[in-house]
Formats: sequence, C-alpha cells, structure tokens
Amino acid sequence: MTPDAAPTTRDMPVVEVDNVVTRFGPQVVHDGVSFRIGRGTLTALIGGSGTGKSVLLREIIGLQRPTAGNIRVFGTDMWNAAEAQTAAVRRRFGMMFQDGALFSALTVAQNIRVPLLEHANIPGDLLHPLIELRLAQAGLTPDTGNKLPSQLSGGMRKRAAIARALALEPEILFLDEPTSGLDPATARSLDALVRSLVDDLGISVLVVTHDLDTLLTVVDRIIVLADGHVLADGPAAEVTAIDHPWIRSYFAIRTMTGTQSR
Amino acid sequence: MQDSTQPWCEIDASASPATLTLHGHWRLANTEAIWRELRVLRLQLPLCINADNLQDFDSTGALMLLRALDQAGISSDDVQWRALDAQHRRILSGVQRRLPATRNPLDTQDRSGILGLFARVGENAAALGTLLLGHLNFLGATLAAAAHLIVQPRQLRGKELTVQFEQVCVSALPVVALVTLLIGITIAYLLGLQAEKYGANIFVVDGVGIGMTREFAPIIVATIVAGRSGAAFTAQLGAMRLTEEIDAIRTLGLAPMQVLVLPRVLALVVALPLLVFVGDVMGILGAMLIADPLLGLTPSTVIDRLHGSLDITHFWAGLVKAPVFALFIAVIGCRMGILVQRDTRAVGLATTSTVVQSIVSVILLDAAFAVVFQELGI
Ligand SMILES: Nc1ncnc2c1ncn2[C@@H]1O[C@H](COP(=O)(O)OP(=O)(O)OP(=O)(O)O)[C@@H](O)[C@H]1O
Ligand SMILES: [Mg+2]
Repeated sequence: MTPDAAPTTRDMPVVEVDNVVTRFGPQVVHDGVSFRIGRGTLTALIGGSGTGKSVLLREIIGLQRPTAGNIRVFGTDMWNAAEAQTAAVRRRFGMMFQDGALFSALTVAQNIRVPLLEHANIPGDLLHPLIELRLAQAGLTPDTGNKLPSQLSGGMRKRAAIARALALEPEILFLDEPTSGLDPATARSLDALVRSLVDDLGISVLVVTHDLDTLLTVVDRIIVLADGHVLADGPAAEVTAIDHPWIRSYFAIRTMTGTQSR
Repeated sequence: MQDSTQPWCEIDASASPATLTLHGHWRLANTEAIWRELRVLRLQLPLCINADNLQDFDSTGALMLLRALDQAGISSDDVQWRALDAQHRRILSGVQRRLPATRNPLDTQDRSGILGLFARVGENAAALGTLLLGHLNFLGATLAAAAHLIVQPRQLRGKELTVQFEQVCVSALPVVALVTLLIGITIAYLLGLQAEKYGANIFVVDGVGIGMTREFAPIIVATIVAGRSGAAFTAQLGAMRLTEEIDAIRTLGLAPMQVLVLPRVLALVVALPLLVFVGDVMGILGAMLIADPLLGLTPSTVIDRLHGSLDITHFWAGLVKAPVFALFIAVIGCRMGILVQRDTRAVGLATTSTVVQSIVSVILLDAAFAVVFQELGI
C-alpha cells in the first residue's frame, strides 16, 4: 500500500499558488500571483499573449522553477519537497500539452499503456478493457487505439492526449489550449467532454484557453492574469462584468461578433 | 493486519437478497488486489451491493466491478445498490455508459506462444516480399527516369549531383584508402606466412593482385559505402519525409525522383567504381609495404610480377561489379528513406534496415557475378 494512494480530504485545495514571482532577466512575468483550486471544479486561466499562462502551468506541474513564491499541489510543495514526494504527486495529475506530445512511434493504445505499465500494477487481462475505457472516456472508439498519432486528425489527437492524461485516474487535469486549432463543432464537443470528466469523475481541471465559448459555457471559474497579477477571479458572469479595459476589450469581441452573427 | 485503505469485499449469501459488501479504496493503485478479490466471487441474482464501507472509488474500480458483474451475466441495473454516494454513482454510471461502445475490441491478438510465433514469421515473410517487390518497382522507375535523362539531359540536377558526388566519393576517400590498405597488408601477410614455407614468395603477389582487384576491393568498398552513403540517403530522405519536405517538393510540381533520387543514384554509380579503383591500388600498395620486410620482395619486383601475372580481366571483373552494387545500394537507400512514415523512430529503423539490405544484396550480387563470370569463362 503506497501512502500516496490516500486521497486528499475533500475540502483541501488541490493547487495552491502563493505569491509566485517569475522573472526572466529584467522581464517580470509574474509579480505575486496567488490563487487556489478546489476539488471538482473546472477553472480557466486566461490572459493576453505573453502574460505567462503557459509558464505558470509549467511551474505548477514542476517543469520550471518560479523565482519566488510557493506552489503546492495536493499540499506538497512542488519545489521544496523531496523527489519521492513530488514523484508521487506527479502520478496524481494529468497534463495535456498543447500539441499533444504523444509518442509518435507508438499507437494511441500503446501511448495510454505507457503510464499504466510504468506506475500501476494492472493484471494482464484487465489492461485492454482499461485502455478501452480510457479511450471511451476521451470520446474515442476502440479502433482508434490501433492508430498512430500521425494517422489522427487534430481533434482526435487532442482526445488521444486526454486519454493518456487520464490513464492513471488523475485527480486534477491540466490542459493547455485544448481547443486551439479545432473547428467550432469539435471544440464544443471537447468542451462537453471536459465538463463531463469533471462531473462524472469528480476531477478538477485547470485549462488555459483563449476560447470564449469554452469560457462562457462550461467553465465554473475564470482567473484572469494581467500585468503579472491576478486581475480577476470568479464565475464567468462576475468576471465579464468587471470594468477593466483589458477585460472589456477581451469580452467585447465576443459581444460584437455575437451581435453580427445574429 | 488490515489496512483501512485495502480494498476487499465479502459476500453474505444468507441474507436475502445476497449482499456483496465493498470495503476500502477501490482505486487504480489497488487494481491487483481488487481483481484478486473479484476473481473468486460467485455472483448471482438477486444481488445487493452494499457500498456503505466503500471509502474511495474511481473509474478503474468501477470498470472492474462492472466486468465482474458482466462475467457473471448480471446487468448492473438489476443490482440493488445500497449506500452508494452520489459521486461514486456518477463514476459508476459514467463508466457504464461508455462500456457498450467498447464492445468492438482493440487489436488484442495474442502474439506470445507458438502460434504467435508462426503468425509473426508469416507476417514478416509477407512484409519482406512486399518490400522486395517494391524495391524492384522502384529500381525500374529509377532506370526509366535515368533513361529519360538521356533524351532530355537538361533535366539532370547538376548542382545536386555534384553535391552528392562530393559526399559519397570525395569524403569517402580517406576511409576507403585506409581500410583497403590495411586489408592489403593483412592478406599479403597471411599469404606470405604460408607461401614462405614452400619458398613460393613471389606467388603472394599473384594472390594479392587477383584477390584484391577481383573480390576484396569491390566487396569491402561496397560495404563501406553501404554503411556510409546508403544509410545517409535513408536518413536524409527519411528526415525530409518527417518534415513533409518531400510532399512540398511534389506540390511545387517537382518530381522527387528527379530532384532527390536520380542525383544520388547517379553519383553513387559513378563514385563506387572510382572508389574500388582506389581500393585496388591501395590494397596492392599495402601488400608492397609488407612484402619487402617479410618476403624480401622489393617494390619493383612486385610491380614486375604484377605486369606478368595479373591478367587485366581480373581487374575489369572487379570494376564491372561496382556500378551494379552502387545501383542497388542507392536504390535501397533512397526507397527506404521515402518509405518512412511520419514518425521519429522510423528513420532509425529504416537506416539500420538499409545497411543490412544493402550488404546482403551486395553479397548476393557478388555470388551471382561469380557464377556468371565462371560460365563466361572470365
Ligand atoms: N524560458 C524562457 N526564457 C525567457 N523568457 C521566457 C521563457 N519562457 C517564457 N518566457 C517569456 O515569458 C512570457 C510569458 O510566456 P508564456 O508562454 O507563459 O505566455 P502565454 O501567457 O502562455 O502566452 P500565449 O497566450 O501567447 O501562449 C513571454 O514574454 C515569454 O517570452
Ligand atoms: Mg501559452
């Protein structure tokens, strides 16, 4: 029995970002960013280009060190805890990189199998049903499992990446621009998929997105990054109502195109 | 000692209906333990599942439970669920909803065991057949394109041809010269040790002269070139496949055959005979180097003897093989590169395969030449 299998208590935040400062030479990207993400919520991180959303995501999952501040995932400080502890935490989250980052030489099913074989003791006769379940959870049919990533469409590749991210039953999923480069219909079905993961499996999702439809329809909460700070943090209705030039222009585009198409 | 997270279950058959009580954490981390528990259960309807002590549950746990029910021929709708909390119920129904879609199974053919071995051997043999047929086809296309050049010589990519020639010939000179020199020394030395016993020192010159020009130089130089240039062709064209450059060449209205394949093939076909000639000279030079101290044959004696004894047909027989070897090496190298699918590992595999195929084909061709020359009395 590994200690990390114990679930965190329900009310404990999954991710705590505490006064994070990030500097690249003279450039200050984050100047004291703080927020928390609770269980079972679908949170979006938005902000203009270059405000450091991707950098923040990399800092949370332990790929890049913040200049100052603390980041805790499941209560473990990702940058000061022992390697064994952060490794245990890593097993509890899933990450979907923007381009999918699937292993190009492996089929989709083999891609899903990699983390399963590495980190879980799955009895042989359960492996295939489990891989099929992961495919189905990501909205893919079982025969997609036999294909190579290069044989998939953009939308399917994103789903395959989600299926692999789901392999180890993560308690939180990080998605970097899951709907970019997709047609609106596919993007909406991906939104619905992410929503159903939150509702059915009870996992938390932190999504970096520029997709206003995602923001206004499926997301529980929006965190806006601007000028190195958290500019706004709350449900879509609250955030859109805030009177700030960047927020107004960001959501105004939506209102404009919305009225035009009607 | 029972750890509270340990998953287990107990069935109370005396209750009515029979009740299966779940305990502990039914999660991915405990898959093995759960599966062991479920395996031994004999389930039948009517059944009540009591989840009162179920502390944690995820979709993997749900999958295993549903499969166990499924194998017992029980639909989970017919089961009475007791004390299943709302979140766990959503997980269960989420998995259940997705299960019917998974009836069309993954490719789960068993590749272990004796039958799997036969299947793999058969598959590989069929794949090899297709590959070789494809090579033959490609060889034909290359020759046709080359013939086309005779009619329209302006289509020759002079610049690309020069670049390739420099890479496959000029840059290969040092390694070819060094290796054949060493081979010449070795053969002369080994022959010399034996010949000396019979006082037949002078025949070492005949042996090295014939052996080097007719067999060793062509085979060894072709092997070096296969490892150097054949592999390079595959890696270059394979990488171009990955970056979709070959597709871009097609879209720009150019033929990959003209732009990429022919310059490489022509460069190699011209280069290999030249390299073999260098190999001949270096091999004999090597023999000369060691003949003086070991056998007491001065360089001028060696050259005189060569003049007298080395029939020029041996030299031509060796040289004639070179362009044929080159054609095969280049065609295999180019085609393996073009075959690469969009996947990073494939380039490495194709490169290895090119080297193996080229060397095997060189040796087979050499054997064929030996038979043909024999029949022709050369
Ligand atoms: N390794 C690095 N070294 C130096 N500067 C970096 C590095 N990584 C990111 N930056 C800078 O940090 C800033 C934030 O980058 P980031 O990729 O997080 O932006 P983003 O908010 O994700 O933007 P977008 O919406 O365009 O993806 C950018 O100005 C970028 O140039
Ligand atoms: Mg980004």
